[in-house]
Amino acid sequence: MIAKVLLFLWIAAALAAGFLWAPLVPGLGATTRVLYFHIPAAWITVVALGWSMVHSVLYLRSRRLEHDDHAAAAAELGLLFCVVATVSGAMWAKAVWHSYWNWDPRETSIFFLLLIYAAYLALRSSIENDERRARLSAVYSAIAFVTVPFLIFVVPRIYFSLHPDTIINPSGKIEMDPRIRLGFFAMLIGFTGLFAWILRLKVRLVRIERRTAERATA
Amino acid sequence: MPTRGSSFTVAVWAILRKEWRTEWRTRHGLNASLLFALTTLTAVSFAVGRLGDRTDLMGGLLWIVLLFGSLASLSHAFVREVEGRTLTFLRLVATPAAIGFGKLLFNLAFVLLLELVTVPMFLVLMGGPPPDWPPFLGLLALGGLALASTSTLVGAIVSQTRGRAALFAGVSLPLLLPVMAATVSGTRAQWQHGSIRSEVELLAGFTAAVLGASVLLYDHLWND
Repeated sequence: MIAKVLLFLWIAAALAAGFLWAPLVPGLGATTRVLYFHIPAAWITVVALGWSMVHSVLYLRSRRLEHDDHAAAAAELGLLFCVVATVSGAMWAKAVWHSYWNWDPRETSIFFLLLIYAAYLALRSSIENDERRARLSAVYSAIAFVTVPFLIFVVPRIYFSLHPDTIINPSGKIEMDPRIRLGFFAMLIGFTGLFAWILRLKVRLVRIERRTAERATA
Repeated sequence: MPTRGSSFTVAVWAILRKEWRTEWRTRHGLNASLLFALTTLTAVSFAVGRLGDRTDLMGGLLWIVLLFGSLASLSHAFVREVEGRTLTFLRLVATPAAIGFGKLLFNLAFVLLLELVTVPMFLVLMGGPPPDWPPFLGLLALGGLALASTSTLVGAIVSQTRGRAALFAGVSLPLLLPVMAATVSGTRAQWQHGSIRSEVELLAGFTAAVLGASVLLYDHLWND
């Protein structure tokens, strides 16, 4: 309970800092503030999908269904945060590039990512047996995650993109005003906490569902 | 882990030959794919007419035709075993990796055959300047390999699910989108005499990653 209240206060404070205290980037104006949502959401997408992949591999090694619960829950959350990143990015693009969607390499790769993990959920829903679903979706998840580096890091660097430099940019430096940087990292931590909290809830929910189903068949 | 060396090669080769023999007996996978590719080609050609001066569009259309044609049958290699109830027997005589790679080689040959028939027809029907052959053929070969390696693994997965045929296209297409992006942009670039270096690197890296993961993952495909 205390953790939840702290998380709420943390995100509220980070938002207030981002909107009231940190300056705007010249040229971007008020649209600067998308970085407090868009980048943390994109970051959580990668973290969630990575988490899902790690638990898929752990499942394949140990064959314990708990790992599959984590893999499934994290993939669903990854998809959700991916939608947040996509939509916030599209809104920013409308303001700065005057078009919601223009198949910029980054728009392309995040859309592919959405489809790949939507396919993961479609695959899960078409297998009834718990063990088989866990095993096959773990194999798919591992192969899907192999394509993630290509989408996120390679494609946008090969093709010309209008997207502003990412945090991990080619020069390896973070070029941000110190106040923006503070607000941004606070939001990053806040989003990570939010993700961890929802993930725990989701995993518990999946476990309860499975136990109810087991009891119903027993 | 599969046994390396000669026995592995022998098993892969035997499975490849078995696949061809069973396919050749009925040819229904091949017929379905060729028919699908040709009807897609007809639909595309009918819809847009001759595109002699639009080489920027032809790459995209060509790969859509090839992708549709291959996806019609590439799940076949594993689905056939499940439907014919022969998978258990196959697994008694070969390791999962040998089965996987044997079927991968079969699917690769299948895609190349499909390209051999479809691409000339596409070029004839669409008109347009002749492609720059070395990069064009290289892209067809690399794209075919990426297509075959991804769809073999996905085929092995979906053969164990309900609603296989529909699910196969739905699940493999998203994974193949990066491949499509690279082949389409490479094909367009060779028509406009540009460099296809980055596309080739992307395709080669993607294929190597998928093949590397496959080596580890085939062992986990079956449990019972």
